[in-house]
Amino acid sequence: MIRVEGAAFRYREDWVFRDVSFELARGRFGAILGPNGRGKTTLLKSIVGLLRLNEGSTKVDGRIGYVAQRNDMAFAYRVLDIVVMGRATHVGLFRTPSSEDYRIARSTLDRLGISEFTERIYTQLSGGERQLVMIARALASECDVLILDEPTSALDFSNQALIVEILDRITAEDGLTVLMTTHVPQHAQRLADTVLMMHGPDHHDWGPAAEILTEEKLEALYGVPVKSLELEHEGTKSQALVPLFL
Amino acid sequence: MKSVFMAAVGAFAAFAASAEPITIVDQRDRTVTLDGEAERVVTIPIPAASMFIAVDGGTDRLVGMHQLSKTAIKGRILQRFYPDALAIPSNITGKGFSFVPNVEELLALEPDLVFQWGHLNDDIIDPLVNAGLNVALIKIGTEEFTRKWLTIMGAVTGKSEKAQAMIDWRDAVMAEVRAATADIADDERPRTLYFMNYLSKLRVAGGRSYNNFYIDLAGGKNVAAELGMFAEVGVEQIIAWDPEVILLNGFEAKLSPQDVYDNELLADVSAVKNRRVYKMPLGGYRWDPPNQESPLTWLWLSMILHPDKFDWGMSERIDRNYQFIYGQGVTAEDIQNILRFDMNADAANYDIFNDG
Amino acid sequence: MSLANEATARVTRRLPGLWTILFVALGLTILVSLGIGRFGVPVDHVAGILAAQILPIEPFWKPVEERVVELIRMPRIIIAGLAGAGLAVAGSALQGVFRNPLVGPQIIGVSSGAAFGGAFAILVSESQILLIGAAFGFGMLAMVVVYTISRQQGRASILMLVLAGIVTSAFFSALVSVTKFVADPDDKLPAIVFWLMGSFASASYEKVWLIGIPVVIGSILVYLMRFQINVLSLGDEEAQSLGLKVERTRWIVLIAVALISAAVVAAAGIVGWVGLVIPHFARMLTGPDHKVLIPAAALIGAIYLIHVDNVARASIAAEIPVGIITALLGAPVFAYLLRRAANKGWSSE
Repeated sequence: MIRVEGAAFRYREDWVFRDVSFELARGRFGAILGPNGRGKTTLLKSIVGLLRLNEGSTKVDGRIGYVAQRNDMAFAYRVLDIVVMGRATHVGLFRTPSSEDYRIARSTLDRLGISEFTERIYTQLSGGERQLVMIARALASECDVLILDEPTSALDFSNQALIVEILDRITAEDGLTVLMTTHVPQHAQRLADTVLMMHGPDHHDWGPAAEILTEEKLEALYGVPVKSLELEHEGTKSQALVPLFL
Repeated sequence: MKSVFMAAVGAFAAFAASAEPITIVDQRDRTVTLDGEAERVVTIPIPAASMFIAVDGGTDRLVGMHQLSKTAIKGRILQRFYPDALAIPSNITGKGFSFVPNVEELLALEPDLVFQWGHLNDDIIDPLVNAGLNVALIKIGTEEFTRKWLTIMGAVTGKSEKAQAMIDWRDAVMAEVRAATADIADDERPRTLYFMNYLSKLRVAGGRSYNNFYIDLAGGKNVAAELGMFAEVGVEQIIAWDPEVILLNGFEAKLSPQDVYDNELLADVSAVKNRRVYKMPLGGYRWDPPNQESPLTWLWLSMILHPDKFDWGMSERIDRNYQFIYGQGVTAEDIQNILRFDMNADAANYDIFNDG
Repeated sequence: MSLANEATARVTRRLPGLWTILFVALGLTILVSLGIGRFGVPVDHVAGILAAQILPIEPFWKPVEERVVELIRMPRIIIAGLAGAGLAVAGSALQGVFRNPLVGPQIIGVSSGAAFGGAFAILVSESQILLIGAAFGFGMLAMVVVYTISRQQGRASILMLVLAGIVTSAFFSALVSVTKFVADPDDKLPAIVFWLMGSFASASYEKVWLIGIPVVIGSILVYLMRFQINVLSLGDEEAQSLGLKVERTRWIVLIAVALISAAVVAAAGIVGWVGLVIPHFARMLTGPDHKVLIPAAALIGAIYLIHVDNVARASIAAEIPVGIITALLGAPVFAYLLRRAANKGWSSE
């Protein structure tokens, strides 16, 4: 469960957002949409505990796994070394990961279908591969709440599809509570039960995905016309939210 | 720079009284012209103060000296000869081994000549020159340099005869010692090592040092001759050299031969086994660097190195030459102090100096 | 699979025989170094002297040779090795916790702080323990200052870190000058100057303990923190999001680093570049995992500084200051690393 009450954050004199409140129930998938600069990442970080709000409070039940937007790295660690770092909360001071920790790290890689990455050097992976490793590391912590900052940004279609598929599968399997930010309304529509739309410092919409992800609201949010299209592929129906570039 | 200096000197000279002008060439080949004899002299190089006192025969015309010049006088024989020396200001430089002049303090002394080191950097010279002072630059290192100091100091004080006599004395003793040691074969010359530092680190005198010159003159051979001026060495190198005689500097006041005897790492060195470690004497100045009493150093060292060959009658020599240099004789107790019997008495052969 | 097996298995895959190579190299380094020096001791005599430590051998060597090998060379080699290992461990740890392969004990200000602490201690006391203590305290303080200056919005950029290090080092150097200025020129001043110059020339078994204990304690502390350093090297935010207590972890590592650096400064003065370059070199062999990197860097650092000191003590009659040699070798390597950083970024290692 994630609860945010009256959250407000200010950069110098200017409010980035104010009075944001919502509650994401256990096992639900939330998405946050909004143009750049609305404070989506700030909000996520304050929920994770990396930033302090100027006003309001956040509360999370259970252990958080966090997948940051930036995933560069100063040192060229191997993938297994990185995933096992997800076990940090389980490793005491002056201790190192146990064989159980390594087992969990390996099985997490296995679950995500990337066990062949185990011995590879993280910095030599592609963007999509890195994102998978980061998700694996978060999952290896045996978290209850998964928070992801634009997990599909800067990825090609196939990697976007892969990440979306994995998030859908894993979160369902583990009963995770998930909150992610995204610039792709369609991903929110595909994955999320509930959506927070950050229009401006004092203007937020929080509600069921179907009610928030409308053509009108998206057009208002991004300032470009957005069309909702019914699509069908090999008998499966899906919806596309497509911007119109005029 | 030089022209500025000359202009300054010129301007200064115009207002000064017109005695017979004195012109000298210093050790940086700069020409310095004084209106007459220097009446108010400041010495910044540490050994220059006692040498100036020796040449001039008193302290009246020395108005400022280095702080460490004074520590070589205080409590030693020069204090007895010249009690007024302790009243001479010595706050004219930075602390310790700094030769950076405190120009305003210096100007307050109204010196008509300042002696300064010429072999260090020019930053210690320019402020003096820019302040319009007459500056004589002197260098340390060789016997030749030391004689030039005497010549310059004699010229500016009108004591050229005394200075020349001191030089003649150096010539005479050098010839005397050289004649005595010239035929000593290489393998009869004791392997000798001079410690410029011992307590804090092991720093020894190399082949270009003044110490090398007098070790050679006195009939020894410097084991560290392969090094330049002064260099730090390891204990092992000293064991490898295995010096037969070790000389300890006079600068490290607390350093005594006992420190060397107590060093278990040096236990195998010949000089230690044979107790031939000696503290350098301290008379009107420390005997290790070039100074007004250097000929006594040469005589003393030749006896240290060849106790069976030479006996110059040190007590008589010291007394006679102190009469000559300072106009005052010494007692048997003075001689024991000068020759550092407090530290050297137990060393091998040192009783040969008990001739008073 | 036990943890030990896991770790061993992984290292073996990484570089077969790494530990064997390093330990054999260190052993050979020590043996060869015992045979090197200005005083000629035949190799068989050195071997005999060493063997006599454990075997009842009738001496066929001269007593002076035994003293040279046992009392002069051995403690010096041990101290040089300890200093090299300590600096390399300290450098590895700093590079990890600041997630930056370009920092070292010298850059982070700890060396100059320790230098001042030691000089100050000499000025006011004769106690060796106080000397190490003050070197540690001020080394720590300098590091805190650098760290505080360079932190902006929770992160320390390399530029700010280096600049803060320069500023802090300059300040503590000035304080050292003040200490020298007020010191008694006949007594305290030479002691301070000597201490600052630093040299392995004054090595003794007494000093082995004096330096060995803090270096070993500090290095063990760093090694115990190897996993936490790994996590911290991801960056503060990531480490925190992974549940690491960032500040506490960093301070434990920094205290260990200050302890090591103070002891090394006390032993040998400011020996630059070792803590900067050796961890980098070790990382090329082991990868960045501090579990492997730290012991490897320690061994390589020890081997390296023992050899450097061999040059310093045995190549010419005069002692060459160790810091000169490490700088001559280290500065060009550092320049190369900087170029590479500019060209490729660290991640391409």
